[in-house]
Amino acid sequence: MKEKAIYITGGLAGIILLLNIYNIFMVLPDEANQGAVYRILFFHVPPAITGMVLFFVAMVGGIGFLSFKDFWWDALSVAAVEVGVVMSVVNLVTGSIWGRNQWGIWWAWDARITSQFLCVLIYVGYLVIRPAFSDATQRATISAVLSIFAFADIPIVWFSIRWWRTQHPGPVLETGGLQHDMAMALLYNTIGFLLLGAALTLIRLRSEEVQREIESMRRLAHAL
Amino acid sequence: MIEARNFQFLVLGLSAAWAVVIAYMFYLVRRDKKLNQELSRLRDMLSDREKSSR
Repeated sequence: MKEKAIYITGGLAGIILLLNIYNIFMVLPDEANQGAVYRILFFHVPPAITGMVLFFVAMVGGIGFLSFKDFWWDALSVAAVEVGVVMSVVNLVTGSIWGRNQWGIWWAWDARITSQFLCVLIYVGYLVIRPAFSDATQRATISAVLSIFAFADIPIVWFSIRWWRTQHPGPVLETGGLQHDMAMALLYNTIGFLLLGAALTLIRLRSEEVQREIESMRRLAHAL
Repeated sequence: MIEARNFQFLVLGLSAAWAVVIAYMFYLVRRDKKLNQELSRLRDMLSDREKSSR
């Protein structure tokens, strides 16, 4: 069942992203001021949204573990955090390359960029701190609390471009700042990245479950 | 249609994005392989111990 879900989500993500690449490169026109480079947007915004959705899933996993004391929720949480960090790194890297071209600098300590960078640091901290606890229940409990508190940064990242007008471009999604065809291409890529994130999370979740089986077998081997 | 202006930065951006995703996929596959090897090694060890204890 899980294998099937991985193949279906991964396959769908591949098809949507490949079809949309043709659309982005061959159909959509260049942007008047930026030329070709504006297309980075299609690989900058979708990973950011995917990362945020996955951090939300991690928070749900944390609440689930604290409520039901079932380690599956902890596995879901760590899987979502790891893939969320990868997606957020893609967002920061693509943004930096776009910024070098458009602003002449690789990095700016702007409200959006800084809050997103802090978000990555917080979740990397989550991943780094986990192995420090050898007791599985203690590890899962602390991780659950961390995943809930860490999510507090996500609304700050999302609203930062509305609250503070600094270097990062303002919101274009809900203000209708994008031409219809471009908005549709962005929507398809967002769906593609969300499915890719789901597939990677399911793969990571499976390996977390194997890891737990190994830990219980090791305990059994010690007891024998 | 695409023009040459700022094209190299577009290529750099897309290459970097996919490089990060593909590198993570390789990491996942390697990790999965290692964990499965460890799991089968432990299974073999436990079944050997069970046999010898009978």
